[in-house]
Amino acid sequence: MNNSWHIASREFRERIGSRSYVLFSIFGPLVLLGFVYLLFLAGDVPEQRWKVLISDKAGIMENKIFTSGDKAVTYSFVDDYVDHDEFADAKKFQEFDALLEINEKILSNKIAFVFYREEPSTSMQMRVRYHCERRLEEVIAQELYDMPVQKYRKIKTPIGFSFRDVYDPYGMAADLKGWAGFFFGALIFVFIFLFGMTILRSVVREKSNRIVEVLLASVSPNQLMTGKIIGIGMSAFLQFTIWITIVSSGLYLMRETVFPDVRDASNVEMMITEDDASQQEQFFGSMEYNEFVDLVYERMQFSNTLGFFFVFFIAGYLFYGAFFAAIGSTMGSESDGQQFVIPIILLLCFALYSGYYALHYPDAPLSKWLHYLPFTSPVVVMVKLAQGYEPGHAYELYVALLILLAGAFAMLGIAGRLYKNGILQFGHRLQLRHLIKWLRRS
Amino acid sequence: MDTILDIRNISKSFFRKAALTDVSITVKKGEIYGVMGPNGAGKTTLIRIINRIIEPDQGSVRFDGDIMTDSDLSKIGYLPEERGLYRSMTVYNHAMFLARLRGLNKKDAEAKINDWFDAFDIQDWRKKRIEELSKGMAQKIQFICTVLHEPNLLILDEPFSGFDPVNVELIKKELIHMRSKGKTIILSTHNMKSVEEICDRAVLINESRKITEGSITELQDARKLGLYAVRFRGNMIAFVNALWTGFEVERKEVLGDDRFLMHLKMRSDRQFDDLLRVLIGQVSIEAAWEVKPSMQDVFIGLVSPVE
Repeated sequence: MNNSWHIASREFRERIGSRSYVLFSIFGPLVLLGFVYLLFLAGDVPEQRWKVLISDKAGIMENKIFTSGDKAVTYSFVDDYVDHDEFADAKKFQEFDALLEINEKILSNKIAFVFYREEPSTSMQMRVRYHCERRLEEVIAQELYDMPVQKYRKIKTPIGFSFRDVYDPYGMAADLKGWAGFFFGALIFVFIFLFGMTILRSVVREKSNRIVEVLLASVSPNQLMTGKIIGIGMSAFLQFTIWITIVSSGLYLMRETVFPDVRDASNVEMMITEDDASQQEQFFGSMEYNEFVDLVYERMQFSNTLGFFFVFFIAGYLFYGAFFAAIGSTMGSESDGQQFVIPIILLLCFALYSGYYALHYPDAPLSKWLHYLPFTSPVVVMVKLAQGYEPGHAYELYVALLILLAGAFAMLGIAGRLYKNGILQFGHRLQLRHLIKWLRRS
Repeated sequence: MDTILDIRNISKSFFRKAALTDVSITVKKGEIYGVMGPNGAGKTTLIRIINRIIEPDQGSVRFDGDIMTDSDLSKIGYLPEERGLYRSMTVYNHAMFLARLRGLNKKDAEAKINDWFDAFDIQDWRKKRIEELSKGMAQKIQFICTVLHEPNLLILDEPFSGFDPVNVELIKKELIHMRSKGKTIILSTHNMKSVEEICDRAVLINESRKITEGSITELQDARKLGLYAVRFRGNMIAFVNALWTGFEVERKEVLGDDRFLMHLKMRSDRQFDDLLRVLIGQVSIEAAWEVKPSMQDVFIGLVSPVE
């Protein structure tokens, strides 16, 4: 183990000492941040004009709402309960863009549902939230507490507005969160491929310059392979950490400066002091964020996702890294064996497609299989994690992780055998029969 | 002399092709042991088995009296024939890396590196990258990395290839010095002159089998042809008359100024003393000796097919 550590630390120092590593560590996340910034800016939805139907059977709002001349949204009331399915399909409701459901419990549970036909922009969500909340605050202050509304606003509990697609109210279809999970999964595979190829090149270089025979006189082939995979993995992990640090710092800075949190009640109160249409227009106009901003800052559970992201990255890297090491060790020359890299690349592509499939068909039986299959689980689990496991099914995540870890150790064992028998074979042209023979040899 | 390495009945084949067949050798402590053989004879396979890089199909290797284990590897230094270095590493880092792999702690490794860099006068190279070194310089580093941990057994596969004559002598001198300190050296080489010069004993392997093993003198004696050489000054007729019928002239070489070099074979049971006795007083003998085959002759004689 000590020797594996010496091999690993040499590999690690060689990687982090290379110029390309340093450049990729610093400029990679900066470029990514640049893309994120452009996505936040360029992805803005056009200014929306909404007609909102307020279903207020209990008459809580008393058919009153104050828009202060805001022309972007108009409200109509109906003194009856409107089911969201009916709203989705009934001809008489087609003129409305959204249904705001006010039930009799809202004064106590402070939750309102908005069913929309087309996803509202952040600005539109803010407008609806702002207008309705101000009216409801009046009602709550007057009826529940009998105090001036200005006083109530200082002690209020904010009302939660849940925006839902009327055609998919339970969020069954692939949503942005799933895509974010897919992005994380894809990132894992990009890094696995990049650092897997680094393992392969490193093994081939050691073979071709014959240093490997000097090393093998001191360390076993398994120690050499393990040390190499760990050393390169450590450099990948460090690079990942640098990326995460730079990207999260950048996102934090953007949040503090360019894209402040518009849902923070204090921000709204500070910026709109009175019912002034022009002031509202100016404020909501400036808050015209697109859904990616909302996704990144509000809907992703980064702490949870990042934790599993690292765990699945490590396990996935060990699994595929062993493959790359085995192929590198069995190649007869630097140019040989490229054809055996192609199946690994295809496997990686298949894994990416699996993530895409799971994104669209999360409950399909095939998605379940792909979720547990070690070849595909790192990306599929990331998608599933972002979409959210059903209550009581979180164990599936740990089962997938255990299977992946077991697969990684099995793969290290197989690769170790190929490595041991292939590393001192030179000058041949790698063929499948070589791999089979070396696998069968003890 | 105690045995440091006892190899018994080793066999190894690759894809049904025999690389070694029932080979047994013993290497004694404090000797320089030559491993000779033509290309593809099985020398490198034997050396790799000793270094535990590959496992034999049959047979055993005993190191210092016990069955060899991985822990014995730290007592062995190995310089393979096709050796490499990490081109992007500095000379010092490379030496330190290999020293640590061979089991030295950092402090000891540092001290040994300094000693060897002094001995080879290469302290200036410490921070040079390997890729900046010439081939000869890199080979010096490879040699130093092999002996850094002061192994009891040193295994060198073609250690002189690529070295200029000055460095060959430097390495030979160092090997003889190490032998004087009680180290054992196994030398695999095609350079028969080196075997003759510095090896105490040797083995010859051909087509996966051991052909012969013994001291250099024994190996030469086994192939000698009963040939003697006499260098003298005087009259050729007198020389021939003195020999009469007891000796047979094989070759005559005129050196000039009435000086000759004659190669002779004994007839019947004549001895070297008899030769000297009949010649003294007839010619002026400058030198006389038994002609032994060179190791080159021994090698060729043993591996060439019988015609």
